[in-house]
Formats: sequence, structure tokens, C-alpha cells
Amino acid sequence: MDSRPNLNKRMDHAIDVRDLTVAYREKPVLWDVDLQVPAGVLLAIVGPNGAGKTTLIKSILGLIKSAAGSVLIHGRPYSEQRSSVAYVPQRGSVDWDFPTNVLDVVTMGLYGKLGWIRRPGKAERVEALKALAQVGMEEFADRQISQLSGGQQQRVFLARALVQDARVYFMDEPFQGVDATTERAIVDLLRSLREKGRTVVVVHHDLQTVPEYFDRVMLLNVRRIASGTVPEVFNEENLRATYGGRVAFVSALATPDDH
Amino acid sequence: MEWFTDIFLDYTLRTVALGSALLGITAGSLGGFALLRRQSLLGDAISHAALPGIAIAFLLTGSKAPLVLILGAALAGWLGAALIASVTLRTRIKYDSALGIMLSVFFGFGLVLLTYIQKQPDANQAGLESFLFGQAAALIQRDVMVILSIGTVIIFLMVLLWKEFKMLSFDPDFGATLGFPIRKLDHILTALFVIAIVIGLQTVGVVLMSAMIIAPAAAARQWTDRLGHMILAAALFGAISGVGGAVTSSRVGNLPTGPTIVLIVSAIVVISLLFAPNRGIVFRKVREWKAGKNLRVDAVLVDLFTLASQHTSKEYPHSERVLDVMSTISGPARRTLHLLETLGLARQIDQNNWSLTPEGVERAQTVIRNQFGGSLST
Repeated sequence: MDSRPNLNKRMDHAIDVRDLTVAYREKPVLWDVDLQVPAGVLLAIVGPNGAGKTTLIKSILGLIKSAAGSVLIHGRPYSEQRSSVAYVPQRGSVDWDFPTNVLDVVTMGLYGKLGWIRRPGKAERVEALKALAQVGMEEFADRQISQLSGGQQQRVFLARALVQDARVYFMDEPFQGVDATTERAIVDLLRSLREKGRTVVVVHHDLQTVPEYFDRVMLLNVRRIASGTVPEVFNEENLRATYGGRVAFVSALATPDDH
Repeated sequence: MEWFTDIFLDYTLRTVALGSALLGITAGSLGGFALLRRQSLLGDAISHAALPGIAIAFLLTGSKAPLVLILGAALAGWLGAALIASVTLRTRIKYDSALGIMLSVFFGFGLVLLTYIQKQPDANQAGLESFLFGQAAALIQRDVMVILSIGTVIIFLMVLLWKEFKMLSFDPDFGATLGFPIRKLDHILTALFVIAIVIGLQTVGVVLMSAMIIAPAAAARQWTDRLGHMILAAALFGAISGVGGAVTSSRVGNLPTGPTIVLIVSAIVVISLLFAPNRGIVFRKVREWKAGKNLRVDAVLVDLFTLASQHTSKEYPHSERVLDVMSTISGPARRTLHLLETLGLARQIDQNNWSLTPEGVERAQTVIRNQFGGSLST
């Protein structure tokens, strides 16, 4: 790789992360991570617990301070591109007993466009309902969020990101603990986003479904082990390097002859 | 209804009631956000941390004007809150420990300063110690005007930044990705919180002030699932306790106003925890009991039906003992059988034997269809 990145070349990528390093009390959590993602692909980030997957997303979004590194979204710094980036945090990161309903949570995705002080109105309501319909949750608009199942909560979070109408989506473990219906709905959603040329980065746990759901994969364990198209890099050698000891579990998944 | 006219006629009572009500509204509504952000105890730390600020403000200015003391209290309270945040962020001390440390350090320092001030040969020092437990009865119109104007500004800002504060409370990380300066919003909300607390210190005192923050919000949460309604209810509960405390302490001799306010708001909390629809304990128990009863009825019904299915008539009688053995969830079947009889679903043939009525057969078939998807194999 060219050590002095050509600016024009960097413009081609939807996401271009260079030398990203994050440390927590002197202990590196992410070490010198590079990631280039072309536009219009579905990318999975996989790695063992504590590998820094969530940290990577959060530091790209500026939620965690990085010690070094740069992030470009469609060729420009993230701070200038906020409106074209949407974020789906881990479902467990919020209090689902918060006194509000589904429509209200989805409408939060439009707060950035609304700007300060202005209240959401009819137009925002229509957009939020449209996004809810896309995840099959339009009947739940007035439902208290505390009454949702895990899968329904996840779809509400996805709808909140959909109303942002972004070019790049970051999703933190959207498949975590969801029912089969929701898993199907998320996969369909990811594909329809790709058809529209959107780029989606997904922190993913289930190695088994990586080849089926994603075009590209990044294997991460503090350092970037490998990143590229699924046929290129999703192999036993890289998984071994990423997951270390638990190879028996890994190799059964990665051998292509098994499929 | 004498007290009602008193509020309008008695100048002192009117002043105290109005001041306490305004305080209840301000503290209650901001307490709602604190509750949702799990910062209720921060209110306690802030109110205790405000004590040295009051003493220092007096030592520096020699004045007991409410604005001067409130300013001192607010600065000290804010410093306490900032130190708690800073200690949590920069050291390995956890949030609850940092909170406890700041609370006691500031409060201890405040007590030292108060004692020092009391020993001064100065007639003007009297009255500062009333900030410990509050002295609502001493509220005068000037104090109420200060509470009113500051409270209005706080409520105005809260309504203005409603959507931002809601996002900050529900999902701050997401708000940050939308480009809102979440840290600044956090500082603004905390500042409003600090001010709402310090304007209440003269009335309720540093020791009990946290009840005015936590209690109305905790009670309000029980009654509604909408943020707006919850904050309104918290303000209302705060106002009711303020007026109630003022009136009660004026009608009943020698009751201190501040603690009476706190007792009333605590009573509202207890009532809300027990009787609020949906979230209240009583309603939950009733619902569970009803669900349990329905389950038992259905279970015994299906048992009777299953037994009868082995005979030619679906209404073939069987002994209570058999049902006792069969029922896995309900224990003795007798009470449930009598309930079935009342409902017209079963009838007692003799001392020990029961059979289904035609209605019971129909109901049992419906239950089986719903629960077992059509067929029942035993």
C-alpha cells in the first residue's frame, strides 16, 4: 500500500480509515487500524469479544477519542459528513423503560435535520411512519417501547437510522438476540440499502452467516487481521489469526468444501 | 375549607404556600430528567455540596440576601457535581463512591464554616443554620419573587430545549452522531438542575432537598408512559406537596414546613407505587391473580374434558381426587371446580364427582384449539 495516500484515490471510498489507534489507560484497544470500504457494499466486522469492534465504530463516529488516525467519509472528514452517516447503536445501550413510544424514537433520527429548538411536526411523523413500514413495524407506532420484544426494539432502532436517509450506515450487532422474523427483515433491509448504493458496516457475531449476508468482511482483533471480499479473506488462516485458540470451532465454519 | 380561604387571606401562609409550590414545580420537573438519567442521587450530593457555598457567600459579603446566598450555593453545588464527574472520569474511583466522598467532604466543610460563623460576635449571623433543615415559615415575599423568577427561567429553558434534553436522556451517543454537542447539553441540564436545587434550600434545607428532586419524579413515572405527561405530573406532585406542607404545618401546631412537605411527597410516592394503573404493585398483583385464575380454570376444564373423552359422553362425571392428581399447576381442584360451577361450565353430580356442562365442553374445546393447535394427545 502506498504510504502517502493519493487524495484522489481516497475519494473513491465510502469509508477510509487510516492508522486509527485507540488506547484505554495506556492499553491499546485498537492498534493502527486501516479500513477502506468502497461504496455500495455490505461489510461485516468480525472478531472475538474485546477485539475492539464496537470501539472501532464508535471512534469512527467520534464518540470515543482516538489517540491517532484519520477518518474520511466519501472523501471528506467525518465532522463535515455527519448528515450522510447513520448509526445504529447496540440495542442494550439504552433504557427501554424510558417513557416514550415507537414513533417518538424513530423521529429522533430526524432531530439532526430539524436542528436546534424546532419541534418535529406532521412531515416528520410521515417520514417516521414510512421508515417503520420498511421494517414491518408500522402498526407499532403508538406502542410503548417497554412493551417491545428484542427483535422489535432492534427494528425500531433500524427505522430510526433509515429516516436519516444516509449514504453510510454503521450498525452495532443488529443481529444480536433477535428472532428469525427480525433477522429476515434486517437482511432484506441490508440488501435494499445496497441496491440503492448505500454502504453498510455491521458488527457481526455469527461467523456462519457472513458469506450469505455480506460482500466484504474485516477480521479484527485489536489490529486489523485482514479485510477484503469474503472469498478473498474469509478463510481458515485469517480466522485462526483472529480467534487464536478456538480454532476447532472456527475451522469447521471456514472450510469452503463444507458448503 | 377554612384553610382554603386562609391561603388567600393569610399573608404569611400565602407566601409560604406559593414559594413551596413554585419550588415543588421546578424541582419536580427537573427531577424527572434526573430520574430518567439515573442521576437522582446527584441531586442529594449537589444540595449537600451547596452548604459551604452559602457560608462562604455570607463570609465574603456579610449579606443574607437570597440572590447572594443562592449564587454561592449554586457555585459550590456546581463545583461538587463537576468534581464528581471529574473524579469518575480520571481515577479508578466509581461514580457512587465519588458521589459519597464529595457529599460528605462538602457537607462537613459547610458545617465547619457554619459553626465558625455562629461563633462570630455579630448579630447578623443568625439564621444561616436554617439552611440545614430549611425554614419555610420564614419565607418572605422577596424570597418568593426570587424563586418565581429563577424558576420561570429554568422551566422556559427546559421547554425550549425539550427535544434536545429528551435525546440526551434517552440516547446521548446517538444524539452526538447527529451533531448535537452532547457534553454542552449535559452541562446546561446539570446547571439547571443545580439552580433548581439551590433555590429550594432555604425552604426544605440541604438534608431533605433531594426528596423534592426524586420523589415527585418517581411518583410521576408510575402514572404515565409519556415523557411530557411525566414531567407535568412531577411538577403537579411537587406543587401539591408544597402547598399541602405549608397548609398542614400552619394548621397543626409546631410542625416544621420543610419536613412536612417531604412527608406529603413521600405519601404520594407510596400511593403511586401501590395504586398506579399498570405499574402499581396492587394492579400488577390483581392482574397476575386474574391470569392465574384463568389458567387454573382452563387447566381443570381441559382435565375434565380429557377424562370424559375416554368415555362415550363428553359430560361423563369424574371424581375430584383424579383432578387433584392431574392438575399440575393449581393444587387442590375443589375451589376451581366451584368457580367452574358458578360460571356454568361444570356441575357437581354428588359429593365427589363432577361433570362438564355442554357450555363447559364447548369452552374446553376452544381452549384446546387455542393452546394445542387442534389436537390433544395425553
